[in-house]
Amino acid sequence: IARISPHALSSFSSSWLPQAAPSRGSHWQTSLLTARASLPARAQPKKKKKVDVKKEQAQKDRMKKKIRKLEKAAPEMIPIEDFITPVKYSESNRVRSLPPLSFEETERRVLLMKKWCLFKQNQDKAEKAAIQALVEAQQEALKELRLESEELYQAAIRRDEGLFPFERDGPDYTPPLPGYDPPEGKCVDITKVYTQ
Amino acid sequence: TAAAPRPWRLFGAMCLLRLPRITQPLEKEEEEMAALMGQIELEKSQYSDHEIRKLEEEENLRRRKESMYDDDEAPGKTVIMAQDLEDKWEQKLLRFKPAPRITDADKNNNRTSLNRKLDRNLMLLVKEKIGNQELWLLPQVEWQPGETLRSTAERAMATFLGDHIQAKILGNAPYGIYKYKFPRAIRTEDNVGAKVFFFKAFLQSDDLSQAELKKDYLWVTKDELGDYLKSEYLKKVNRFLLD
Repeated sequence: IARISPHALSSFSSSWLPQAAPSRGSHWQTSLLTARASLPARAQPKKKKKVDVKKEQAQKDRMKKKIRKLEKAAPEMIPIEDFITPVKYSESNRVRSLPPLSFEETERRVLLMKKWCLFKQNQDKAEKAAIQALVEAQQEALKELRLESEELYQAAIRRDEGLFPFERDGPDYTPPLPGYDPPEGKCVDITKVYTQ
Repeated sequence: TAAAPRPWRLFGAMCLLRLPRITQPLEKEEEEMAALMGQIELEKSQYSDHEIRKLEEEENLRRRKESMYDDDEAPGKTVIMAQDLEDKWEQKLLRFKPAPRITDADKNNNRTSLNRKLDRNLMLLVKEKIGNQELWLLPQVEWQPGETLRSTAERAMATFLGDHIQAKILGNAPYGIYKYKFPRAIRTEDNVGAKVFFFKAFLQSDDLSQAELKKDYLWVTKDELGDYLKSEYLKKVNRFLLD
């Protein structure tokens, strides 16, 4: 059983000083040390140490230079996958063959677009008028409130912090089916994530 | 000035809205436009993998029918064709039965139920005794000094529906006001009339089974309000309601 102190071990590897007379009685010396006492070891370990240190320093500097160069270079552009059409979709057999549109069809389409334009314009005007009416009603209410009491008015025009962010699930086509058990399945996300 | 006695009594009323749960049916122009958009998209598109497979299989089938003795593959081989897949999917769709858009409450015209008119907003109306008349109006409660009008409206909601409802009140400011003077019999110098301030809230929880509704109540749409509210009151309420 050899009890080597860590200090002794490190001193053995880096700077080995020859012991004058290793006495067997001392507890901190091992048979290993006594065996190596005969090696002509003075100069070599020291060279190793210097060269090692220099080499390590040089390596570290090279790594730092590389890191600095990489950082200086402009970040790589992340490709937008939606804008790159895969090659297999530009083959000619993919082109759909449909009969050309008749004159009546094009006319019908143009007229429908015009009707749609008008419809959407009216819808937008109605929405804006409704919002305007809402705002007017609120202003009137606040005016009356102010006539009543200033303190209540101030409390009313204070911003409501708890209102936003306001989240709501939009309406679906059919109401939720009570007692519906959706089929089990796992969705694996295969989107490619790019890092710059 | 705070010292001058205010002749108006203040009330806070809550307009509780149940938001629509299904989409409204499309208008005629919207349907035509949707069809046109589908057609244009089809014309501008190219064949997908599934369609190409279908076309190739049809080709193969036709060729095999024309040259009957030219069987490349053993006839016993079962190959799933794209057409079979489509039929299978069609069958699966037909087997699924979604919930009906027009519910039982719609058919019975049960106006106290929340399941009616799922594509419209529903509002809460309660019957109250004002003076010596029984009137239908939005739940309201008198303002007490020391609270803001919004908390008055919240209290009104709580008195009629209990404490357990979850509703999102839209802001601290009132949406509308209804001012009325008391009839000459009870009008005094200090008590000319009342101002009712309306607040809007969205109902968040879907079931009100826990709510203890003490009085007569109704859930009505904007069009049906006219059946219950008085004309002046109705005019003021309609101003801040979007359909």
